[in-house]
Amino acid sequence: MFILPGALLFGIVIILASLQTVWVSFFDWDGVGEMQWVGLSNYVQLFDDAQFYVSLKNNLIWLGMFMLAPPLGLALALLLNQPIGGMRIMKSLFFVPLVLASVTVGVVFTWVYDPSFGLLSLIFGYFGATAPALLSDEHFVTFAVVAAALWPQIAFCLVLFLAGLNNLSEDLIGAGRVDGARGWPMLWHVVLPQLREVSFIALAVTVIGALRSFDMVAVMTSGGPFGSSTVLAYQMYEQSIFSYRFGYGAAIATVLFVIMAVFIAWYLRTLLKPEQENA
Amino acid sequence: MASVEIQNVQKHYGSFHALNDINLSVEEGEFVVMVGPSGCGKSTLLKTIAGLETVTSGQLLIKGRDVTRLEPGDRGIAMVFQSYALYPHMTVAENMGFGLRMAGRPKTQIDAAVARAAKILRLEEQLDKKPKQMSGGQRQRVAIGRAITRSPDVFLFDEPLSNLDAALRTQMRVELSTLHAELGSTMIYVTHDQVEAMTMASRIVVLNRGRIEQVGTPLDLYSNPANLFVAGFLGAPRMNFVTGKVVEAQGRSARIVCAGGLGVALDDLVQPAAIGEAVTIGIRPEKLRINDAGSAIAFGGQVRLTEYLGRETILYVDAGDLVTTGSDSGTGAFTAQIGEIRPFQTAAPVSIAFDARDAYLFAADGRTISSPKPVARL
Amino acid sequence: MYPRPIPEDSPWRRTAYAAMVALVLILWLVPLMAVMVTSLRSFEEVMAGNYWGWPKSFNFVENYTAVFTQTAMARYFLNSLIITLPSVIGVLILSTLTGYVLSRYRFRGANLMFALFVGGNFLPAQIMMIPVRDLMVSIGLYDTYYALIVFHIAFQTGFATLFMRNFIAALPDELFQAARAEGASPGQTLVHVVLPLIRPALAALAILTFTFVWNDYFWAIVLTQSDAVKPVTAGLSNLRGEWVSAWNLVAAATIMVAIPPVVMFFLMQRHFIAGLTVGAVKG
Repeated sequence: MFILPGALLFGIVIILASLQTVWVSFFDWDGVGEMQWVGLSNYVQLFDDAQFYVSLKNNLIWLGMFMLAPPLGLALALLLNQPIGGMRIMKSLFFVPLVLASVTVGVVFTWVYDPSFGLLSLIFGYFGATAPALLSDEHFVTFAVVAAALWPQIAFCLVLFLAGLNNLSEDLIGAGRVDGARGWPMLWHVVLPQLREVSFIALAVTVIGALRSFDMVAVMTSGGPFGSSTVLAYQMYEQSIFSYRFGYGAAIATVLFVIMAVFIAWYLRTLLKPEQENA
Repeated sequence: MASVEIQNVQKHYGSFHALNDINLSVEEGEFVVMVGPSGCGKSTLLKTIAGLETVTSGQLLIKGRDVTRLEPGDRGIAMVFQSYALYPHMTVAENMGFGLRMAGRPKTQIDAAVARAAKILRLEEQLDKKPKQMSGGQRQRVAIGRAITRSPDVFLFDEPLSNLDAALRTQMRVELSTLHAELGSTMIYVTHDQVEAMTMASRIVVLNRGRIEQVGTPLDLYSNPANLFVAGFLGAPRMNFVTGKVVEAQGRSARIVCAGGLGVALDDLVQPAAIGEAVTIGIRPEKLRINDAGSAIAFGGQVRLTEYLGRETILYVDAGDLVTTGSDSGTGAFTAQIGEIRPFQTAAPVSIAFDARDAYLFAADGRTISSPKPVARL
Repeated sequence: MYPRPIPEDSPWRRTAYAAMVALVLILWLVPLMAVMVTSLRSFEEVMAGNYWGWPKSFNFVENYTAVFTQTAMARYFLNSLIITLPSVIGVLILSTLTGYVLSRYRFRGANLMFALFVGGNFLPAQIMMIPVRDLMVSIGLYDTYYALIVFHIAFQTGFATLFMRNFIAALPDELFQAARAEGASPGQTLVHVVLPLIRPALAALAILTFTFVWNDYFWAIVLTQSDAVKPVTAGLSNLRGEWVSAWNLVAAATIMVAIPPVVMFFLMQRHFIAGLTVGAVKG
C-alpha cells in the first residue's frame, strides 16, 4: 500500500514518540543510564516547582498577547487591499518577516532592544529618556520577547486575511451596499462573517504558535534573567538537556501535551464537522 | 414624472466603452426588461442604476432626484442578485430586515415589514431558517422578499432566474409577473433569456455592445425590429437571413436577387434603395411554407434534419447556393417552423416558399427598410 | 472589494494612500533594514556605535568574505542545504502517496489516520523531544545529517498529507472514474493522472517545506552537536556568542541565513501564499 511508508514513519517518530514522553514522565532518568520507576513523583515535584508556574504564567502571557496578531493582521490586510500601482510589491515586502527563521527574528530584535545602541534606546534617547534594558528586566522580558514573536505572526495573519478578502463575494458586498451598510457595519455584518473560516485558521495557528514558543526564548534570553522568561517548552528543554532530568522534562512535556490536546481536539472537531455534514 | 431617468450615461474601463451614451426613461410602475447577448452592458447598466458601479459621465435620476453620486443604500432602490447574495450567517427574517436595520428603523417596524413581505411570498414558515437550509427557489424568494421589505422606489433584478432549473424558472416567472401586478412598483429586470423578456416586460430594451439598439413593447419589437440585430435577437428559432443585391429600384420599390438567382420584389420601403446595394432579406421560420405550391417566391432544397416538438415541427433545409447567415443550426440551412407534426425524410427534396409581404429587408448598415404588412396589434 | 477601492479618477488620493502604506512598510521593516545596512558597515564604525545611521563606508565584500573565511558559516550553510533538500524531496514523495490514498480510498480507520496526521502536526515539537533524541542516539543517527532529515520528513509529512489530501480531494471524481474505466491501476492513475495535475500543489509544498526545514532551530540544537553537521540557524546562534562585538559580521551572517527562504519566497510567492492559505479560504 502506498500509505505505508508515510504512515509508519509518522506513526513511529511523531505519534509514538509523543506517547512515549508520557511513559518517560513516570521515571527518574538521566538520559543515559537505567530508568527508575518513580510513579507520579515527577508531577508532585512539578506542581511544587515555582519555576513551573513562572513558565505557565509566561505561556499565558504569550497566548494573551498573541491574540493581538489576528486583529492586527486583519487591520494590515484592510490597509493593503487596494488595487493601486505598487501595492503588489509592498504586500510582498510586508510578508517578509513570515519567511525569516525565528533565530533571525530573535537576533534582529535582540538588537532593537539593546539598551546601549538599540533602536529602542535611540528612540528613548531622542526624548531624553533612558531606555529600559528590556531583555534583562524580569518584568518586561517576556513581553519584549512576545512582541518580537508577534512580528512574523502578524505577517502570517496578514497573508491569511488578504487571501480571505480576495475571496469575498462581490454580490454580497453589493447586497450590503444596497441595504445601506458601509464602513464599520459593513465590516461587522457582511465582511467578517465571510472571513469566519480564515479567522478560525488564523486563531488556531496563533494559539498553537503561542503554545509551542521556544526558539525566540532560546535565542533572545535563554529563559533569563533568572528564569523569568521561560515557557513550558523551554523549561522542559533546559531540564532535560542541561540538567539531565529527562523524566522531569517529560512530565513538563506531558502537561504541555494535555493543554495542546484539549485545543487540538476542539480544532479537529470544528474542522471535521462541516465535512461530515456534507457526507 | 419618470421613475428612472438615465441621461447620456457613459461607462469606460480604460479604453473599453462598456456603456455608450445611454438614454432611457422608465415610467412609474413599468416592468422594463433589458436584454442582449453576454457582454452587451446590460448588467453594467443595471449596476450603475443601483450605484454599485460609478458612471464615467452622465446623470441618473430616480423620482426626479439626482442620484448619480449617491451610495446604493441612499438611492431608494432594492436589488435581487443572480447569486441571490443572501447573508449566509443570518436567518431569513434577519436577511429581509437587514436594510431597515441599517437604516436605524425600530424593531417593531422592521418585524412588521418582514412579516408583510413574508406573507406576500409565502415565506412565513421559513423565517427562522438559514439560507443554507433552503432550496434555490426558496432562496430566490427570500432575495425578492429582502427587496420588498425595503419598499423601494425601484426594484432591480439581475438575471434572477438563471440559477434555477427550467420548471422552477417558469413558475418564478409567473410569480414575478403577479408580484408586479400586485405591488405596481417600477421594476427593471436584466436577462439574456428572450422568453423572460417577451413574457414579463411592459417594455423591452435591447442592448448590444454598450448601446441601446431599440426600446419598445415585446410585440412591437418582434414585429417591427429597428434593425438586423434586434430582428435576429428576438424570436426562436431565429429569423432566416439571406444576403442579396438590389438590381432594380424605383421609388419605394426594389427588386433583389440573391445567390442561386432567387429574385424578390418588395415595395413600401421606408427609404429608397440604391441599385447595387448589398441588403439582407429576413423571413421568420414560421412564415416559411414547405411543399406549398402557389406561393410567390419559391425555391428547392433538401431536408437536412427534422425536429418534432410535439405540437410543431422544426425543419432544417439546405438550399444549395442559397444560404442563410447566422442561423441557429450553425450551417447555411434554412429553418422552417410548421405548426403541426408532419413527417419528412432526411435528404428528401422539398420546396420552400414565402410571401413577399412576410419578408423584412435590411439595408447595408443593418437598419430595417421594409417590414411585413399588416402588423399584428393587440 | 472591501474596503472600497479608491476611485481611479482621484490620482492624488491614490498617490497619497500609496505613500502612507509605504511609510507603514518602512516602519514595519526598519529592524530588518538596519541589520542589512549594518552588514555593510566597517568594524570601526560598529565600534564607534553607528548602528542606525547611514554607513560611512560600504564593506560588502569584506564583511561577507569574512563571514565565509573566518567563521564556520560556509560549513553551516552547506549543512543546511544537505539537510533541507533531501527532506523536501522525501516529504513530497511520502505526502503524495498518503494524500492520494486518504483522499481517494475509504477504508476503516482512514478518518482516524487523517486525524492523527493533522493532530500530530499541531503538537508542539518539544513534546516528542526526549524520545526522538533517545531514538536517534540509540540507532546511531544522533549528530548526523540523517537525524535531522529523518525527523523533518516524518514531522512535515503530517502537514503535507493534510495539504495533499485536500488538493487531491478537490480533483473531479469523474477523472478517477475515467481512469478506472480505461483500466488504469491505482499506481498508473497516480503517475499519469494525479501527478501532472498536482504540480502546483507540489511546488507550493516544496517551498513551504523548504522554509520550515531551513528555518528550524529547535531540532537543530537538539539533534546535532558538532559544527560538521550543524545547520545555519544553530550556527548563527553560536556565532553570536563568539563574535559578540563584531556586529557587522553577525549582521552579515543573519542576512545569509535569511536569504534562501526570502529568495525562494519571492521566486515562488504565488505558490507560497496559495500553500499557506489552502483550506483556510476554500475550506
